[in-house]
Amino acid sequence: MSMVRFDQVSKRYGAAGKDALNGVNFELQRGELAFLTGHSGAGKSTLLKLMMMMERPTRGQIHIDDQLINTLKPSQVPYHRRKVGVVFQNHQLLFDRSVYDNVALPLQIAGYSPVDCARRVRAALDSVGLLQYEQRNPIELSGGEQQRVGIARAVVNKPALLLADEPTGNLDPELSAEIMDLFVRFQQVGVTVLIATHDIALIERMGKRRLILDHGRMLGDTHVVA
Amino acid sequence: MSSPEPRSAGRRSSSSRKRGSQRTEPQRKGSQGASAQSIGMLGRASAWLGHHQLVAVETLLKLLAQPLASLLTWLVIAIALTLPGALWMAVNNLQQLSDTVQQSGRISVYLQTSVSDADARALQQQVNQLNHVERTELIGADDALQQFAANSGFDDALALLGENPLPAVLLVEPPLGTSSSDLSVLRLALENMAGVEEAVLDLAWLERLKSLLALGQRVILVLGGLLALAILLVVGNTIRLAIAARVDEIRVVKLVGGTNAWVRRPFLYTGLWYGMVGGLMSWLLLLLCWLILQGPVGELASLYGSGFELQPLSGGASLLLLLAAMLLGWLGAWWSVSRHLDDIEP
Repeated sequence: MSMVRFDQVSKRYGAAGKDALNGVNFELQRGELAFLTGHSGAGKSTLLKLMMMMERPTRGQIHIDDQLINTLKPSQVPYHRRKVGVVFQNHQLLFDRSVYDNVALPLQIAGYSPVDCARRVRAALDSVGLLQYEQRNPIELSGGEQQRVGIARAVVNKPALLLADEPTGNLDPELSAEIMDLFVRFQQVGVTVLIATHDIALIERMGKRRLILDHGRMLGDTHVVA
Repeated sequence: MSSPEPRSAGRRSSSSRKRGSQRTEPQRKGSQGASAQSIGMLGRASAWLGHHQLVAVETLLKLLAQPLASLLTWLVIAIALTLPGALWMAVNNLQQLSDTVQQSGRISVYLQTSVSDADARALQQQVNQLNHVERTELIGADDALQQFAANSGFDDALALLGENPLPAVLLVEPPLGTSSSDLSVLRLALENMAGVEEAVLDLAWLERLKSLLALGQRVILVLGGLLALAILLVVGNTIRLAIAARVDEIRVVKLVGGTNAWVRRPFLYTGLWYGMVGGLMSWLLLLLCWLILQGPVGELASLYGSGFELQPLSGGASLLLLLAAMLLGWLGAWWSVSRHLDDIEP
């Protein structure tokens, strides 16, 4: 029972472009936390985008939660995305609304009642230590706090799978460690987590499984099961 | 920095949701997986309705929050609707006028000057036997001259003429409600009778008016079609700008699982509000036109001895105007959204 399975997945942008991913195979078990590393341009973002159905693979098969996703119809894609939480380096927050409303967005989309919504948003904000900021505008917060709002939004819907693309890219080492700590705690309550990062020092300290991409190929997999 | 509390972000069993507590025991993710996210059919329907309500109110408030920009769009829509609306009102009123006039159709039969009074009376008897003749009135040549002299004030000039230049006239009144084709047949029959110079149906101008009205209806259709297209373009362009201003939001919404319908909804409601308020304004403009014109038109009609009154838009027509305006606003938004929304992908 794997959460994520890639079988010979390739992705080529444009007709004549070179492969961003080439024959990638890997599997993530439920409740596992792994890091995805590699030089810039190695295909880390592409791999995450494929899992979010922001891109479709050129070849191969991707299973998420035992569902083959590369054949999903466009109308089914939103429902797939509701099962996957995602955190970005630039956190993609909306500055025309409060922290609360940012975090509540996935719940409103999924059709939760306002009461349910409020409880879950507060729980998510509490889990990242930002409950006191719920009525603030995210633009007033520091980079690290904005990133934690992004994480709260990613987990508010209780996704089985949490993806993060360079979540500590703009943060100093101390803040980065705190963010990583958050991801570990989500893993501890059963969420499968995949984090793309180039922060090697941080990863080595954490001793988790590492998937290494190089020029679109899966070069190594440390398989240290958490 | 406060220490994060991961437990509450973990999966929660449905029974813990009932308790409503914020912090519950973390639950290892079991095989039921994503079922924690699923919401019942009823909940889904009520959420859908709730979102419609929320979006309807939010979009209206957003439009009212920038009154100047909204007002401009509303006025453009209102004027575009008022033009064909006013034309429709005019044609409709003329049509009613022509309907009442038809009730008093009358044929004037001018006799040849050679016809004697006795022959004229014999002719009158003959005409009385015809179909579609209710009443006839014979105005002899002398009577006609006297009437003309009295009405025109030309009696001195007439005295200079050696003989009476006017023919005798037989006025033929058909019963009320005679169709115009029957009237034409009757007129032709009268004109073909011996001693008749000419039979004139006083409704000839009415026929012209009718074909003018038919033309007017065509003009309304064409003009209305063009202006409806203009409304589509105006609303479509306004919505396009609104979409461009919210690209970031749309990306994020799609990223966290927003369906196209969800993304589309606020824009469609915005279009609907543009149409509806524009339609209301147009209705007010038409009412204003009516208020301004009603007095003078009534006066003019009374000068012609008619009790005609300018009618305002009926309730049904008002409703139709409003519905058409809303439909156009909605369609314009739909057209714009379906063109631009697919381009915005995370």
